[in-house]
Amino acid sequence: MMVADVIFYLFATVTVLSALGVVGARNPVHSVLFLVLAFFSTAGLFVLMGAEFLAAILVMVYMGAVAILFLFVVMMLDVDFSMLRRESVRYLPMGFVVGAVMLAELGLMMAHHPGEGLHLGLDNTDNTLAIGQALYTRFLYPFEVASLILLVALIGAVALTHRERKRVHRQDISTQLARTKEDAVELRKVASGEGA
Amino acid sequence: MLEHYFPILVLLGAALAIGGGAMGFSYLVGPKRPYHEKLDQYECGFAPLGRIRMRFDVRFYLIAIIFIVFDIEAAFLFPWAVAFESIGLIGFIEMMLFLSVLLVGYAYVWKKGALEWE
Repeated sequence: MMVADVIFYLFATVTVLSALGVVGARNPVHSVLFLVLAFFSTAGLFVLMGAEFLAAILVMVYMGAVAILFLFVVMMLDVDFSMLRRESVRYLPMGFVVGAVMLAELGLMMAHHPGEGLHLGLDNTDNTLAIGQALYTRFLYPFEVASLILLVALIGAVALTHRERKRVHRQDISTQLARTKEDAVELRKVASGEGA
Repeated sequence: MLEHYFPILVLLGAALAIGGGAMGFSYLVGPKRPYHEKLDQYECGFAPLGRIRMRFDVRFYLIAIIFIVFDIEAAFLFPWAVAFESIGLIGFIEMMLFLSVLLVGYAYVWKKGALEWE
């Protein structure tokens, strides 16, 4: 599978470069767009590994929704980013420490469990099917809890950000359609010369 | 499995070639004579009054969050649909339960008027 190798290195390179772009871009909006590119090429890597479901989720949820959310945050905050950038050098050592710890964790995991994942006793190779069979049987309870978590997120978002706007002209189509000639039009006979 | 993705790879290549080609070619061929006014933000004739980045209304954010929640709901539907035959009636009831919980959220959002845009 030479082709797959070439494609792997292509996607991996794009992932690393766009990750660098996220950190290094001068315009924060460009950072978010680099993030979208990183998500996309990671999805490509997932497909190469056979994790189709993860790839689909990455494209659908992360690129479709999370990236947009990031974009809104960047646009809403209106922070002076050049100022922020000058200060961010101070946090560089801490960032390296966090990165090193994560790398060490990944390395440890790879060293101790090479090529071995969570075994669910499912012997089929279809990734999405395996997830479905596990999620809706063995992990039934966490799955239902997930719906409640989503509900909380939904209600929380509405409660925090939504406020009723008074004094705005809103179009109410059913009221418009319910108007009749009788209650909307008034005909008056005006005597000639009397009209104001 | 990977050979199923070959058409997508071809599509990706074509998209990159067309998009990159259009931008790259116009960059190579087009004249470039930039000066300050040309690169400035657009205002109708007068010197720009403020900065170009303006703050967005928080309502965009609300819509995006509502979208994320239902996006994740849709993501849960995929493995359910694929594994539907093997998980049987219990799986069906489970998913209906899941959907009905989120339907409550949907009704709440609708009732609150969060989907309205004045």
